[in-house]
Amino acid sequence: MNVTQYYRNHRKAVVTAASGLLYAGGWSLGYATAADTASAFVLVLAAAVGGYDVAKRAYYELRSRTVGIKTLVTLAAVGAIAIGEYWEAAAVVFLFSLGSYLEGRTMRKTRTALQELLELTPTTALVRRDGDVVEVPAGDVAEGETVVVKPGAKVPVDGEVVDGESAVNQAPVTGESAPVPKTSGDEVYAGTVNQDGALDVVATGTGADTTLQRIVRRVEEAQEAQAPTEQFVDRFARYYTPAIILLAVGAYALTRDVLMALTLLVIGCPGALVIGPPVSIVSAIGNAARKGVLLKGGEHLERAGKIDLVAFDKTGTLTSGEARVASTPSREEAVGDAASPPVGVRGFDYDDAEALRLAAIAEKKSEHHLADAILDAARGAATSGGVRPDGGAVAEERIPDPDDFEVVAGSGVVAHHDGREIIVGNRALLDECGVTVPDDVAAHVREREAAGETAVHVALADETTDRSEATGDGTVVGVIAIRDELRETAPRVVQELQAAGVRTVMLTGDNERTARTVAEEVGIDDYRAGLLPAEKQAAIEAFREDGHVVAMVGDGINDAPSLATADIGVAMGAAGTDTAIETADVALMADDLERLPYAVELSKATRRNVLQNVGIAVLTVVLLLSGVLTSNVHLAGGMLVHEGSVLLVILNGMRLLQY
Amino acid sequence: MTETTQFRVVDFDCPTCASTVERALAQTSGVETVEVHYTTGRVEIAYDPDVTEPGDFQTTIENQGYTPQPA
Repeated sequence: MNVTQYYRNHRKAVVTAASGLLYAGGWSLGYATAADTASAFVLVLAAAVGGYDVAKRAYYELRSRTVGIKTLVTLAAVGAIAIGEYWEAAAVVFLFSLGSYLEGRTMRKTRTALQELLELTPTTALVRRDGDVVEVPAGDVAEGETVVVKPGAKVPVDGEVVDGESAVNQAPVTGESAPVPKTSGDEVYAGTVNQDGALDVVATGTGADTTLQRIVRRVEEAQEAQAPTEQFVDRFARYYTPAIILLAVGAYALTRDVLMALTLLVIGCPGALVIGPPVSIVSAIGNAARKGVLLKGGEHLERAGKIDLVAFDKTGTLTSGEARVASTPSREEAVGDAASPPVGVRGFDYDDAEALRLAAIAEKKSEHHLADAILDAARGAATSGGVRPDGGAVAEERIPDPDDFEVVAGSGVVAHHDGREIIVGNRALLDECGVTVPDDVAAHVREREAAGETAVHVALADETTDRSEATGDGTVVGVIAIRDELRETAPRVVQELQAAGVRTVMLTGDNERTARTVAEEVGIDDYRAGLLPAEKQAAIEAFREDGHVVAMVGDGINDAPSLATADIGVAMGAAGTDTAIETADVALMADDLERLPYAVELSKATRRNVLQNVGIAVLTVVLLLSGVLTSNVHLAGGMLVHEGSVLLVILNGMRLLQY
Repeated sequence: MTETTQFRVVDFDCPTCASTVERALAQTSGVETVEVHYTTGRVEIAYDPDVTEPGDFQTTIENQGYTPQPA
């Protein structure tokens, strides 16, 4: 790099240093010798060197019809020279240059925090083309091409694993601390690190169209959105500067004290006030992004800082959402033989496996997550024991399609097959269909529910049964207990939130008994059971009416209305779905709760930080104004305090980058 | 015809500086819309390529004392 280019790139530093040296030289000259004229000359030179750029920018400010700090500083310096205060003029210019240099430099760090995230994506990719593996620029990989990711290498594209097995560190995208096992069919993200095995990945997103890129773009949008505090401060600043100029004119008219009037000009820009809040917010959003949390903007962040109640959806949020027919026997039963079906299925005067099969037929076309669990168990039962190698086909043969089926929302399904009616669902559905539930069945159901499981009844009736009146016709033939395991992280997350002074509540469509058990297992403060989706919204509304600032955590898809109702909607697993990011105020990229306490605490810390910064700024203004008006603070001192306060709020805000 | 271009200015030292640059760019002929963000340093310009070109914007930003980088 040649000298001209170095100067171009470091102009501000060079100019500031030159101005500083001249200032020091001029000052010592005046101090050590009696060479007043020489000293004055050097000091004016210092002001000119440092002030040239400031004056130039003042010119642009005026041209765009703004009176900004550069205009004010230029006026003050010229004024000081005019009244012979050379030392003050040089000091003001030097301190201002130094201040802006440092401010620009420190802000650079917050501005490039996101770039570091993007630099995680490798620039090249190994692609299978015509039987060879070739290295190409990552952006040139076409969708559908197969990319080879070696152990220890970074994944260059978004894609689906088609071959190989490995653990992938997804921290850069999702913030998950533990590596995630990946095998055929799993999704991987550009920028994540493949740890132990080679993977073949079919590209689904490359170049600028990757999850990480999309996240970074959204984070930038979030950083650019103004928070309410910023808007307020900006409005205030618009009146503050003209008011101070009027004050300067007024002060001069009254006291004929030019120095005081010029000093007022110097402090006439509420620097710390306008810079503080945005720096806090940008730093917090940047930090969150690097930990897999997308905060949608300063406004959301400021609201999130007031959260005092977190409501969780149960299924898929506190639990894994992967419902399975329970594999543990109920207490009353001995551990049966290892053969099918799972011990969570129990027939009543009926074969266990046949009860499960009937339920599977009825649920075959349903898309409910409990239906999947029943079908999986039925297929497993049909194939266990390794009787036939082609188990899958056998399972499909054994579970024929129903003739018809009807979903009863929140209750279950009613289907017809082979001249019989199959009713699969909760007690309410059986009551509605007029099926009597015997005492032993009810007792069994209660017991499974007390274990935190969802018990599904299976009942049979004649197809001809007239449903228009409760005939008491139909028999319960079995009960299937379905378990949805708690997320490992759930109890700790709840605990950490409680420690941060946040009340925790679980909302669920499950019955009271199941809900109570799960709530106890998680250690949550409170729960609401038996809620239909609309009732979850009403529950959140009720918390808000009680004066709580409510965050609702869910997957962002099924529970979008509840998330929208809450003060802050938190969606998890957002890396996979754009919808979740759209609806939420806070999006956890990982399909896990791990980062939730962090997000809540960061929001609270940001709120405090913004308030501190506003406090520092207001205090500075008050001190400076009283100092100037009592003639205790002059040009250089005023500039020093002003620039010092700006640097202080920037550094304070940047603490959030390290939070 | 409208094209858009982006720069990143990492050395804005105050919010007013960003709005000054924004106004200067907006006054350039051929520029249709400009967004300059102090917090991220992102500059986005929509312009008519028959009238002006990204090099002009670079000069404008540099004249104001800031260092634009291609985004």
